[in-house]
Amino acid sequence: MSELLTIAVLLPLIAAFVLFLFPAKNPKAIRAVAIFATGVSLLLTLTLFANFDRTQSGYQFVHSIPWLPSYGCSLKFGVDGISMTLLLLVGFVSFCGAFVSNEIHEREKEYYILFLALTTGISGTFCTMDLFFFYFFYEMAVIPMYLLIGMWGSLPPGKHGRTKEYATMKLTLYLTAGAVLALIGLLGIYFVGGTLDIERLQHTIWLARGTQLWAFPCLLFGFGFLASLWPFHTWSPLGYAAAPTAASMMHAGVLKKLGAYGIIRLALPLLPEGARHWANLLAILACFNILYAGWAALTQKDWKFVIGYSSVSHMGYVFLGIATLNVVGVSGAVLLMFAHGVMAALTFALIGFFYHQTHNRYVPDLSGLARKIPFIGVCMVMAVMASSGLPGFANFASEVLVFLGSWQQGSTLFRVATICAVWGIVVTATYLLRAVRTSFFGPFDEKWSMLKDAATFKQKFPYALLLAVLLTVGFYPRVLTDIIKQSVATSIVSRFSTGNEANAASAVAANNGGPTP
Amino acid sequence: MMSLYGVQLECLISVWGILILLVDAFKPIANKRAVGYLAAGFVAVALLYSFAIQPVNETFFHGMFRLDPFALYFKRLFLLALAAVLLMAAEFSPRIESGVTEFYALLMFCAVGMLLIASVNDFILLFVSLELVTITFYVLASYLRRQVPSLEAGTKYLILGALSSGFTVYGIAYIFGTTGTTNFDKLAEILHSQTGAPSSAFVFGMLLVLTGLGFKIASVPFQVWAPDVYQGAPTPVTAFLAVGSKAAGFALLLRVLYTGLLPVSLSWNALIAVLAGATLLYGNLGAIPQHNIKRLLGYSSIGHAGYMLMGVAAVNALGAGAVLFYLGQYAFTNLCAFLAIIAATAATGSDEIPSFSGLGKRSPILGLALFLSMMSLAGIPPLSGFFGKFQLFAAVVQRAQTDSSYYVLAAIGAVTVVISLYFYLGVGRAIYLQEAEDATPIAVSKPMRFGLIVCMAAMIGIGIFQRPLVNASIMAAKVFSLH
Repeated sequence: MSELLTIAVLLPLIAAFVLFLFPAKNPKAIRAVAIFATGVSLLLTLTLFANFDRTQSGYQFVHSIPWLPSYGCSLKFGVDGISMTLLLLVGFVSFCGAFVSNEIHEREKEYYILFLALTTGISGTFCTMDLFFFYFFYEMAVIPMYLLIGMWGSLPPGKHGRTKEYATMKLTLYLTAGAVLALIGLLGIYFVGGTLDIERLQHTIWLARGTQLWAFPCLLFGFGFLASLWPFHTWSPLGYAAAPTAASMMHAGVLKKLGAYGIIRLALPLLPEGARHWANLLAILACFNILYAGWAALTQKDWKFVIGYSSVSHMGYVFLGIATLNVVGVSGAVLLMFAHGVMAALTFALIGFFYHQTHNRYVPDLSGLARKIPFIGVCMVMAVMASSGLPGFANFASEVLVFLGSWQQGSTLFRVATICAVWGIVVTATYLLRAVRTSFFGPFDEKWSMLKDAATFKQKFPYALLLAVLLTVGFYPRVLTDIIKQSVATSIVSRFSTGNEANAASAVAANNGGPTP
Repeated sequence: MMSLYGVQLECLISVWGILILLVDAFKPIANKRAVGYLAAGFVAVALLYSFAIQPVNETFFHGMFRLDPFALYFKRLFLLALAAVLLMAAEFSPRIESGVTEFYALLMFCAVGMLLIASVNDFILLFVSLELVTITFYVLASYLRRQVPSLEAGTKYLILGALSSGFTVYGIAYIFGTTGTTNFDKLAEILHSQTGAPSSAFVFGMLLVLTGLGFKIASVPFQVWAPDVYQGAPTPVTAFLAVGSKAAGFALLLRVLYTGLLPVSLSWNALIAVLAGATLLYGNLGAIPQHNIKRLLGYSSIGHAGYMLMGVAAVNALGAGAVLFYLGQYAFTNLCAFLAIIAATAATGSDEIPSFSGLGKRSPILGLALFLSMMSLAGIPPLSGFFGKFQLFAAVVQRAQTDSSYYVLAAIGAVTVVISLYFYLGVGRAIYLQEAEDATPIAVSKPMRFGLIVCMAAMIGIGIFQRPLVNASIMAAKVFSLH
């Protein structure tokens, strides 16, 4: 069983190497390989999920290959409730992303190689239990993302006055700037803690308070760059607007979650005192995320910019959940990462569907599209409802958890933040419903009469799959919250309970030799 | 006889170089390109042979010459560089007006100097081998004698090189005058037994020697020559400067600082740390506005000297190993870049970055090779440059555990990584994102293709399976008594 996890993670990368040797003349076969690899990877992930021991909170399916003995580094994969949830997310989004990539008609070989490499980079980060490989997979997204946007992207001219080259460069530089900042913090943790094994760092080692206080902002802002923490979010709407459909799905859906995952997986449990010290600042920034980005989304006219700012705004809820440092709030953040990932992927896929035909995604230019493409219209309405947090969708459950956790936290600051966050929902509903009303309903514009709806099962499948996931988790959230809560409680929040320090202090004394390179 | 065991690689390459000259003198060879391929092949065989040589503990030539794991590591590195540079020279030969065979021979003699540098254990041998390398480079840099930039490159290198040689020999005199020895081992003994700070005359001599070495590795404040010389010199020579000469400079720097002067350099690390920070900033900021790829790589080589100085400044075992690893992977990365540049410029006739537009379509292999090498230079996984930088940062952060001012150095390094990604991606943008005006495909010869594939495989291979090179570099770094 444990090898299955490693295979599920590495399969897309192996497929990328196989494609490298493929002749470029046969795009159909190349596409088939990509869909097959991501599909098998999804099936393996579902098998793992079915076999996941829901009574256990620790890492499962652990598989370790010794890699660099001189650093004590090994290629070690394993999942707990948090990473299992997010691995599922990668599985669904990458599979659907490969499916909707049929809009790509030039240089397919390079496209799918990069797409598959990106997939492994993301799922590897979610599953690795080693600090070095965490960083390795995290940074691996840089090259694929730059080329995917630069080569296959499109950015209609607008008030922003930017080209897709600018957008992709900005995105890449922001991602890397955050990554190297986090790297310094991670190396500090390695040398003080004496090991690269995340599980050992989480359970047996308690770093000195001084280290925790400076390392936490390195990790928080370092990972925050990628998770579009205000004010480091400006790359994000522009990058999504310029990216091809599948790349925006991957980026908004899962890549962005890597940043939040880094904070939850590493910054909170490894640096609990630092987290306590910086939590209030994070809550304030989270409110800026929710309200500032929501307000920016209100003024956008390009569909992709609307959704781009919306996703920045939604990350604010994730940050607020993280800042609560309690089981309910952090679990809500994790579930929201899943729900928002699926929803954002669905929305970008739908935009890609009509943009591919209209070559126009300017909201005032589109009108009454639902008449020609009812299936896409219905899906879009559902996605928008999910995004605005209507009950029945996974987003509702997770947002409620975040609000409860934040209220439960008790301090005045968090009470105010909760009110801001709830108000954010109203803002979200405003800009999303307005955009849907304008472009999908209202009088039908004859110039869109050439539009074709998703007619066959093959065409409808990716959208239906993502919607089904949203609804399933929405109606039965316990399928995920049970395992999330357990892992959050034992491996993260337990680090905040008092009395832990004394236990861990004795452990660190035994381990004080430092690394032996 | 025993001494000959130590210098067998040096003898092999010298004899082969002289042989090429003699044959060509008595019976001129028409196909110069084939001679280059042959020479490259021979050096590749010598490289394989070098793995059969075992390191020995004792010294040769009265303590002047070592054949320890450190020396062998560098000898292999130089042979690799020489093989690839000869391949480049063969591809480049149609652009050399006359004296192609001499060009090959000079490259080989230069490499002999580098092979000696790897084994240096005495200031006298240090100076002799350093001069062998530097003087051949004066000639090589100005080899395209009808082109003004090449002459300018040669002249600049000559003037600054001669000056720095003067500094070196002057410094050696001071060190000899204050300690009575030029041998590294004896020097370390004397410094160990001394109590209190070394005399100011000795420190003066040490700083002068460091000046000479700083010129070799193009570190601030002796870096000004690098962009001009890199741009003007014939491209194979630029590649050899970037890979061979840079590695030779670091080999000497590590030897001098970590054996002979170890007691002193433990207290002089702050100077090196400051130089590292300044070099990082100068190289990476200077590269931003460049539009000539060779000039860009000149600035980038200054930047990389800065990264490696980070490892030197850490003065710990991790840092020494990290520098060695970095040089090893840097050789593959840079050779890959220069191979691709030579093949592409043969068709376009221009070194300007816009002339690489659409290279990914005109020749997929050249585009991929140049793009991957740029990304490896920028330090993006899964390429080898990433792990090189990771180790250097690790060394600095480890040092920062005892001396927290090193976090400043790590922060400068982090900022420059982002800056460097910007200009490396600028090359990447031309290759893949921009369209070519003239989209005719570029033909790539078979030996060139072979060289490119080897370098790319090494970049990706070392980047993912780091262990063999890490172990080799740790073995080599063990000759220093660092912790």
